[in-house]
Amino acid sequence: MNMTTSEDFKGYREPLISMMKAFGITVWSEVVARTTQGEFEGLVLPRSETADPLHLVLKLSSGYNIGLRHDTIEELSKFGYRKASYKIPEKEFPKDPGKPRVKLFGTGGTIASRLDYRTGAVIPAFSPGELYGSVPELAEVCNLETEKLFGVFSENMGPEQYLILAEEIGKAIRDGYDGVVVGHGTDTMHHTAAVLSFMVQDSPVPIVMVGSQRSSDRPSSDAAQNLINAAWTAAHGPIAEVMVCMFGPTSDRYNLLHRGTRVRKMHSSYRSTFRTLGDIPLAMVEQGKLTPLKEDFKPRREDREVTIQACFDERVTILYYYPNMQADIIDALVEKGYRGIIIAGTGLGHVNRTVYPALERAAAQGVQLYMTLQTLWGFVQMYVYETGREILELGVVPLANMLPEAAFMKLSWALGLHPDDPQAVRTLMTTPIAGEMTPREPHDGYLVFQGGIPEMKDFLGKTWS
Amino acid sequence: MNNHENQPLAAPRAPADHNPRLDTPLDFPDRDFGELTPDDYDVLGFMSGLEVHQQLLTTSKLFCRCPAGQKASRVDAEVLRHMRPTLSELGEYDGTALMEFKTHKEIVYRLDRNTVCTYEIDDTPPFLIDLEAVKIAIEACRLMNVKLVSELHVMRKQYLDGSIPTGFQRTAMVAVKGELPFRTSELGADQTLRVRQVSLEEDSCREVSDIGHRITYQPDRLGIPLIETVTEPDLLTPLDVQAGGRLLAQAVRATGKVRRGAGAARQDVNVSIAGGRRVEIKGVGNHRRLPQLVHIEAYRQLNLLRIKAELERRGVTPELFEIPDAGRHRTPPWVQTPLVIDARRILRRSNYPPVREALEQKQMVCAVRLPGFRHILAHRTQPGITFAREIRGRVRVIACLESRPFMIHSDVEDYGLAASVWRQLRAALRTDSSDAIVVLWGSEVDAGTAAREVLARAAESLIGIPAETRQSYPDGTTGFERILPGPDRMYPDTDTPPLPIEDQWIAEIDSRLPETPWAREDRLQALGLDVVATRRLAASPWATLFDEIVAEDREALGVAGLQRVAAALEKRLPYFWRQAGTRSLPAPRVLTPIVQAMARGELHPDGLEPAIDFALRHTEAESTEYLAGRLKSEPVEKELESLLQLAAENLVGVHTREAQAVLRWGMGQVMPALSGRIDPCDVRSKLIFKLGLAI
Repeated sequence: MNMTTSEDFKGYREPLISMMKAFGITVWSEVVARTTQGEFEGLVLPRSETADPLHLVLKLSSGYNIGLRHDTIEELSKFGYRKASYKIPEKEFPKDPGKPRVKLFGTGGTIASRLDYRTGAVIPAFSPGELYGSVPELAEVCNLETEKLFGVFSENMGPEQYLILAEEIGKAIRDGYDGVVVGHGTDTMHHTAAVLSFMVQDSPVPIVMVGSQRSSDRPSSDAAQNLINAAWTAAHGPIAEVMVCMFGPTSDRYNLLHRGTRVRKMHSSYRSTFRTLGDIPLAMVEQGKLTPLKEDFKPRREDREVTIQACFDERVTILYYYPNMQADIIDALVEKGYRGIIIAGTGLGHVNRTVYPALERAAAQGVQLYMTLQTLWGFVQMYVYETGREILELGVVPLANMLPEAAFMKLSWALGLHPDDPQAVRTLMTTPIAGEMTPREPHDGYLVFQGGIPEMKDFLGKTWS
Repeated sequence: MNNHENQPLAAPRAPADHNPRLDTPLDFPDRDFGELTPDDYDVLGFMSGLEVHQQLLTTSKLFCRCPAGQKASRVDAEVLRHMRPTLSELGEYDGTALMEFKTHKEIVYRLDRNTVCTYEIDDTPPFLIDLEAVKIAIEACRLMNVKLVSELHVMRKQYLDGSIPTGFQRTAMVAVKGELPFRTSELGADQTLRVRQVSLEEDSCREVSDIGHRITYQPDRLGIPLIETVTEPDLLTPLDVQAGGRLLAQAVRATGKVRRGAGAARQDVNVSIAGGRRVEIKGVGNHRRLPQLVHIEAYRQLNLLRIKAELERRGVTPELFEIPDAGRHRTPPWVQTPLVIDARRILRRSNYPPVREALEQKQMVCAVRLPGFRHILAHRTQPGITFAREIRGRVRVIACLESRPFMIHSDVEDYGLAASVWRQLRAALRTDSSDAIVVLWGSEVDAGTAAREVLARAAESLIGIPAETRQSYPDGTTGFERILPGPDRMYPDTDTPPLPIEDQWIAEIDSRLPETPWAREDRLQALGLDVVATRRLAASPWATLFDEIVAEDREALGVAGLQRVAAALEKRLPYFWRQAGTRSLPAPRVLTPIVQAMARGELHPDGLEPAIDFALRHTEAESTEYLAGRLKSEPVEKELESLLQLAAENLVGVHTREAQAVLRWGMGQVMPALSGRIDPCDVRSKLIFKLGLAI
């Protein structure tokens, strides 16, 4: 058979495709490569699309992959062909009528994924059977049912997905599930957590967002612990709010439950990346044990009533202030039709005088302007300095200690909900509905510890090990 | 649809783990190491290969910018982790063992901020691979004449013991297939040792302690670049394993850009005999220990194969030991199978202290029936070690039983339990006369795991040699370390891009490639030096120094002179290093004048070593002055005369009159001032005459 397809040269470009054709080999051929360096024997693997076009990838019998540069190759002779598709072993998820029902929605984040051991491609494990195969402990927690809603990376989540997710969560709650888990990529998990906090109100059951910082194809992955604790929180936990359930410390010890509007990803790669800002987390959770840290949470209810307000206006932006910002940036936004601007100001909520006229013009055009903080911790306080008072007069509304991302999501939602009622939007924005603004900041709501200090050593000794 | 698409995994084909021969000589006599000839080992089908890990001398670690080679001096924090086997491994392995690893072991890492960053604790993805390390690895490969790949692909090699916090080691193949000239083989001249592959990888953590369910590691060493050089199983006698180990050590050190000292070079040795399979013995520090070690391992395999044969003769099959999976509720084995019983009631009045203590602590005591195993448990597998200890070692590692001892068995008659109690156990387990009983105690979960593991190991007796890695003990015996990972534990590292090896790097490296030990050996032999001295010199760290200090005077020194210089370096340098605690070489210009003086006949050959020794410990100026005072000159006869006179006068103060003692004293009086300038034999005879000694 001489027909070849692009799959036969997967990832390869010229000059290698011609060379492979010339020697009659394709991906998954077992070959002996005679090169200027010597002979190599192995299985031809697909090439990563982002790698250079110059090398042929072989898997040696030792399991190692190597690359051979095209101009060192003198001859390729094929002696076999071994293609096999990697499948995740499935085991039937055991049902136990005595256990709560939990719905797991997948958004495309790879909370439980497997690596194709030959190509390195990540295959998401998602069906209950696949999840049971990789995290059998889940069966001890609940009866799990799964539904894959989308297959997008965290950074590609957007309004389209938020709206569907909110509606689907509403359906699941009305269908009588005892809790909902949302598997999500970690990069924008706090954005989604915030928007769901506004779109899904007065839920009677926990809505738990979960992800992993180390994919589950790694033995040291945090995925299993996160998933088990999230499922436990959804199935048995007393808190009926939108929460993020991720590692507490970097050690495999406990998870923290963060309120959806106060949580933020704070490190690019640490396991304990999610932190509650300006408050303390809702609870600690270890398998089979949940310890509330706050008392003012919304409790689980027996009814299945929920308010879903799935709306979103995309003409909102976050304006991250920097010194010497020019007015034309703001004018451009207004010109492009933006209807809401969340300013992330310096200090207590400041921007420079240069942009005042633009802010004034924006306000006059009906653009909603709100002030949040680059400092992330603390409250907007625009009365302390004259600058603040001036900005207030321009029509910029302070948002207390609302996080910029939460404010962005809330404004998008509020404008979607009340497209023609600016006053209603303003009222909504300045009224806390899901803990996005708090009347007070506890003394330990801001704890960015500094390493090296003697007492931190004792602290880490106790909490990490 | 093609049939082969249904295969679960496109695993790389397993490396040939099984010995190619199946004719196990079961009747071969038991002999100690040293009593067998190469032919005997041939009958045994003995085969061995080596894996040498050599740390490279780089500034930073391989995948982060922490300093390499710095030891932790404090504990700033500890991190606790667990390892979960990933799916493919569950498919590949005896899942039970891995499940136990997973659920029971707490892994603790001790962090010193000066030696580790967030990469080591797996909280930051890898940085780009360290090019200094890549280039040293390429240089080593060029010296060993193995075939370089043109692009490095970083792979992940899984380890679930916690020795690497990610659960895998990042490793890249640098070169494959080469041959080293193996001139010291017991099998004769002109042998070669084939190198299978050379990879560049990150080192793992040091184990601090392993107690019960908690294993503690020190990650300061983690991430230091090393090259792993793997040979083919070409070593066919224990002495060849030692010689091969030496050769490989020289080969991987030949760049000079490697770390030295404790732990910087470690070797694993693979052994099999006919009918057996590859067993990997880890972390052998010293080449001298290798022959005994592999000899004992060969006999251990022979004994395991004898046990297999005997069990087969008795009609024992693996199915006899099968019990259902513990399942997610961890059903204890004494509930699941009649092979295991809860023995607490039977043993409640036992006087045997360990059992009594276990019962007092409300622990589980269970008994396991091993059908057809009578007297098998007492079968010797290694010197002083029975098959029961093979089982015990594995149970200890996998079930983490803490008490000592934690098991006894019925093959040691009348030990521990009273005969009446053994009888009761036999009745409760419904054993017949061909069965053996193992009694275990520990926490309920651990005892359950242990009982399962005893049955699993018993079933594997029918396989013969289980695929294991073993740790070596100083007496040459070995103990279970872990189950040998399968070939499927290797997969691509998605965090690092492939790295093309640039032609320019190779050209640059080739242009300044040091001489290999074997090429140097050829060259030195051509000078006329004897074979043994040449071999030692060629492999020594001062080989280049030797070349430099004799360069001008090769002719004048002659073979005898060259031998003397080689011998002097070999004696004085290591001695000085030990005392001074350094391993630095002196500049050639410091030693060259000494060698030149000897070559010109101005320095007596006996003066060579003291002069070199002096030069090592003093400044260049002091050394020059010293040498000037040691050169042969006319007045030496006069000086000797006055020293002899002085000795004769001082003789009255010497207490002994024993002639030899007086002579030694006299030599001590005269020689130091004259050493190197005069033949000590002359001094001796003159002294005897002068002092009137009766010798």
